[in-house]
Amino acid sequence: MIIEIENLKKSFKDVNAVDDISFKVKEGELFAFLGVNGAGKSTTINIISGTLKKDAGSVKVCGYNIDENADSIKSEIGIVFQNSVLDKKMSVYDNLESRANLYGIFGSEFKTRLEEISTLLDFKDIIKRPLNKLSGGQKRRIDIARALLHNPKLLILDEPTTGLDPKTRITVWNVIEKLRKEKNLTVFLTTHYMEEAANADYVVILDGGKKVAEGTPHDLKNKFASDFIKFYSNLNQAEKALTELGLPIKRERDYLEAELESTAYVSKIFKLYPELFVDFEVLKGNMDNVFLKVTGKDLREV
Amino acid sequence: MNKLIESKKFAALVKRNTKYYFKDKFMFLMSLLTPLILLVLFVTFLRNVYIDSFKQSFPEGFAVDNRLINGVAGAWLLSSLLSVSSVTVAFCSNIVMINDKIEGNIHDFQVSPVKGATISIAYFLSNFIVTFIVLTAIMLIGHIYLAAVGWYITAADALMIIVDIFCCTLFGTLLAGVVESFISTQGGLSAVSTLVSSMYGFISGAYMPLSQFSEGLRNTLCLLPGTYGVGMMRNHYMNGYMQAFSNAGLPDGAIISMRNSFDANLYLFGKQIPLVGMYGILLGACVILFAAYITIVIIKNKKKY
Repeated sequence: MIIEIENLKKSFKDVNAVDDISFKVKEGELFAFLGVNGAGKSTTINIISGTLKKDAGSVKVCGYNIDENADSIKSEIGIVFQNSVLDKKMSVYDNLESRANLYGIFGSEFKTRLEEISTLLDFKDIIKRPLNKLSGGQKRRIDIARALLHNPKLLILDEPTTGLDPKTRITVWNVIEKLRKEKNLTVFLTTHYMEEAANADYVVILDGGKKVAEGTPHDLKNKFASDFIKFYSNLNQAEKALTELGLPIKRERDYLEAELESTAYVSKIFKLYPELFVDFEVLKGNMDNVFLKVTGKDLREV
Repeated sequence: MNKLIESKKFAALVKRNTKYYFKDKFMFLMSLLTPLILLVLFVTFLRNVYIDSFKQSFPEGFAVDNRLINGVAGAWLLSSLLSVSSVTVAFCSNIVMINDKIEGNIHDFQVSPVKGATISIAYFLSNFIVTFIVLTAIMLIGHIYLAAVGWYITAADALMIIVDIFCCTLFGTLLAGVVESFISTQGGLSAVSTLVSSMYGFISGAYMPLSQFSEGLRNTLCLLPGTYGVGMMRNHYMNGYMQAFSNAGLPDGAIISMRNSFDANLYLFGKQIPLVGMYGILLGACVILFAAYITIVIIKNKKKY
């Protein structure tokens, strides 16, 4: 296990930011931490990264206990913050050099590392440019490069794609996937985007500082999300038939949607009403549904 | 080995902070321009007032070279400017530390395996370097002006002026470090900088000689260590001119009167503080401020982790 957290607690005055949570992260996996703002994600990250004191519980990262070896942990993790924390007026080179120095990487060792990382993340051509002259995607690549300068075992990504356009988000994810494949890097992700969480190996959902669900996306969807069938023709006929079956339905302008107990229920409808199946689709429940079900909150609205 | 690596990390942070400051050309220019504008305003509007004040110490009929009288007025004004700037520039130049707090860059250092104290002391040292560079630039421009109007400063005094700048900068940057440790917004920085810029020149006796204040106020202001930074600077800027006045035949009594009137001699409760005492008080204050700065750093780090 690369992260082992047990009964972690942290409060600010009378607000329980993290309330007795426990979870584990396996080496090499993509771990997603979900929750709305204020759920306790950033507080947990700050505790893991050694910048915030916990009130109770135990935190082990890469085998080190945070109470005894905070500096060793810091050497093993790289963090990409939600907002870039690099120096905007300084060049990519100056930024990366100054940060590498903080990990004891100097001179020729830094140059070798920079060569490797700029090849891996493909930013050799912008190395002399100031950060504030880069595009959003380029800046994000440099943020990731900074987090990887010291060859960490664990990469923490705190909402890395928030505020980025769809094309840049894809670019960032391609980079992360490449790193996972080539470096077997463990990635600890917090995100607001459910489609990103759906690709994770394991998901923990936080709400109000408490852990409200955990599992693989597949398990969570099976446990918490219903499947759906959508009809795009014979809407009146379909509405009547599905009402007779007692299914919860939603009628929109050009389709009718019914929530199903399971995908297998489709065959029952087909047997009873084959004439309805002209233009239709069956949808598996997604992580949005899971999140809504376990927290009562829609991430797209918060 | 660990200590060597930690000191290399410290040097890297100092380099980054200093580079970061000078990357913003506007910031550097403003730090330099403000004291220079003040120098121009001093020379334009107050030079004659101070020349007349110096002349009041002369006996009836005493004639002196204009270069000497113009020079001593300029030197006095430059000593005021440098001693005030050592504090005001230090407060403004600490913007790197405040910006890092505002923009969150400090988190990037805090998640790195570098001690909190190393980060804080690096801010102090880089601010010291920046302030010292700005003050040295002002000194050089001021000396060009003095060379034009009348240069009577000895090489030894010129060297001691650099020592004075070093001491005053140390005091200014430590004071800024302690006060600005509690600031984390741009508004807070502006408010404190404005307050310090407007007050410090008066409470340290740089804008107005302390001799012109009432005895009570004079003693109160002499309890503030910054006053002695001004006094040190006054001594080394005025020594050469006083010697020239003496060579020109000005009686010793008149010279002592001039030194008293223009704060080259400082008195606390009627007792003259020797030059070495001025250094002692200022550097003693630096030790206390450094201890306070370290205490604040330790308490802040303990709160976090």
